[in-house]
Amino acid sequence: MSARLAGKVTLVTGGRGGIGRAICARFAREGAKVYAADLTPGGSLENDAAEAAQFLKLDVTSEDDAKAAMAFVNAEAGRLDVLVNAAGIEIEETIETTTLEQWNKIFAVNVTGVFLTSKHALPLLRKSSGASVINFGSYDGFIADPGLAAYCATKGAVHALTRAMACDHGPEGIRVNAICPGYVDTPMLQSFFEGDGSGGGGGTIETLQQAVRDVHPMRTYGTPEDIANLVLWLASDEARYASGQLWVLDGGLSAQVQQMKL
Amino acid sequence: MSRFSGKVAVVTGGGRGIGRAIVDAFVDEGASVMTCGRGPRPDELSSEVHWARADVSRPEDVERLRSAVEDTFGPVQILVNNAGVQVEKSVVESSDEDWDLVVGANCRGVFNCCRAFIPAMQSAGGGAIVNIGSISGVNADPNMALYNASKAFVHGLTRSIAVDHGPLVRCNAVRPGWIMTEMADAAFALADDPQRAKQDALARHPAGRFGSPEDIARLVLWLASDEAAFVTGQEFTADGGLTAASPLQPGLF
Repeated sequence: MSARLAGKVTLVTGGRGGIGRAICARFAREGAKVYAADLTPGGSLENDAAEAAQFLKLDVTSEDDAKAAMAFVNAEAGRLDVLVNAAGIEIEETIETTTLEQWNKIFAVNVTGVFLTSKHALPLLRKSSGASVINFGSYDGFIADPGLAAYCATKGAVHALTRAMACDHGPEGIRVNAICPGYVDTPMLQSFFEGDGSGGGGGTIETLQQAVRDVHPMRTYGTPEDIANLVLWLASDEARYASGQLWVLDGGLSAQVQQMKL
Repeated sequence: MSRFSGKVAVVTGGGRGIGRAIVDAFVDEGASVMTCGRGPRPDELSSEVHWARADVSRPEDVERLRSAVEDTFGPVQILVNNAGVQVEKSVVESSDEDWDLVVGANCRGVFNCCRAFIPAMQSAGGGAIVNIGSISGVNADPNMALYNASKAFVHGLTRSIAVDHGPLVRCNAVRPGWIMTEMADAAFALADDPQRAKQDALARHPAGRFGSPEDIARLVLWLASDEAAFVTGQEFTADGGLTAASPLQPGLF
């Protein structure tokens, strides 16, 4: 198969995170020029393809950083074809135990980050012959996981922002979609397993992981590569008619009503 | 309070369960009510309620129901399509008879009744239809394939009726969750340990309890009332918060 992103200029925020680096690796293998934007370069990367992505320092909550990153891309590449807003954090609290500082921080990263990065990417995206923005929502933007209140709220905001951006910038040739993952094997999920996720069951992390798999119709949770596969499709010209949609990718989890222990 | 004084309401499947609660609530609030079922009139049905023996899956039965109610009370202003059946099977397990039963009652029954009552509602100045859908029409309950699909049909038909037959006819759907009826007991009876299954199910409800038929009746009455005059084409969930939460609840492992 020919490279599906040959010649495309792409930027992935959170590009050194769990899902972000899988996206960077896939994009690089498919022939794209990849900027992996993140707070820090992170440790050594697992494979050559991820290594091929060029690191770009970006704190998504900083407007100066967003402007500087886009100026850099503009100077080097002259345009941007694909923007993936994958940077995100999670706070495991109810609203009662969430501090205002935590609330502001998660909204700054998960929502304001999408706003700032996209806003300053627009002039470069307009120079593309077919631009695609891919945001990261979550199935938690539709239904609640217990003890993740602020996270759920940020993802609902990303869903609405995705539709709004698609409406406003579709006429300029910019497609905007959101991917809404369910349980994906990332450091964020491991932290959930080690924290409140263990609930009252008192089991080991392994039994918890198996129980989580068993609730999924596909009997597994996702990998970052599963998510990267859909990001790739939405980034590619095959998805030229796809815009304004929320793409749930969760192994069938949210297709069901809660499964009672029958 | 008698929000429905002088109104004529038809509630299908009002012999027991949710339908019975809807019938009783309409009677309490002053409506003239006719209900129907496939069997004889239940002994304990309130004497004010008129009973017609009718299988809603049969168009000729529904026509008889319509004539009976119009002869008794005059034109109908309120139709509640509550009659429904459930079969606990996957697609592969389901027989042709299962299909005819579930689709006949849950889909064709709603269609038959709407087709029969809408023209008279319109010529009498307007009316309200409330269909009983289900949360299972949006998210799947395991091994309830035809039932789940039949309720999605009800949701779709609700929107079409609202669009095609407004402004004189309003049409909305209610999506009940787990309501303690004989139908829910039948579902628990399938469990290895019905008591444990019930406890687990309870823990998944933010409201801390299952629904009662009266919970659904209260929502149906509001949708049928003039307070809901601007409400049409929508689905309203009453499930104690069940579907607001993720299907994956690690706290209950």
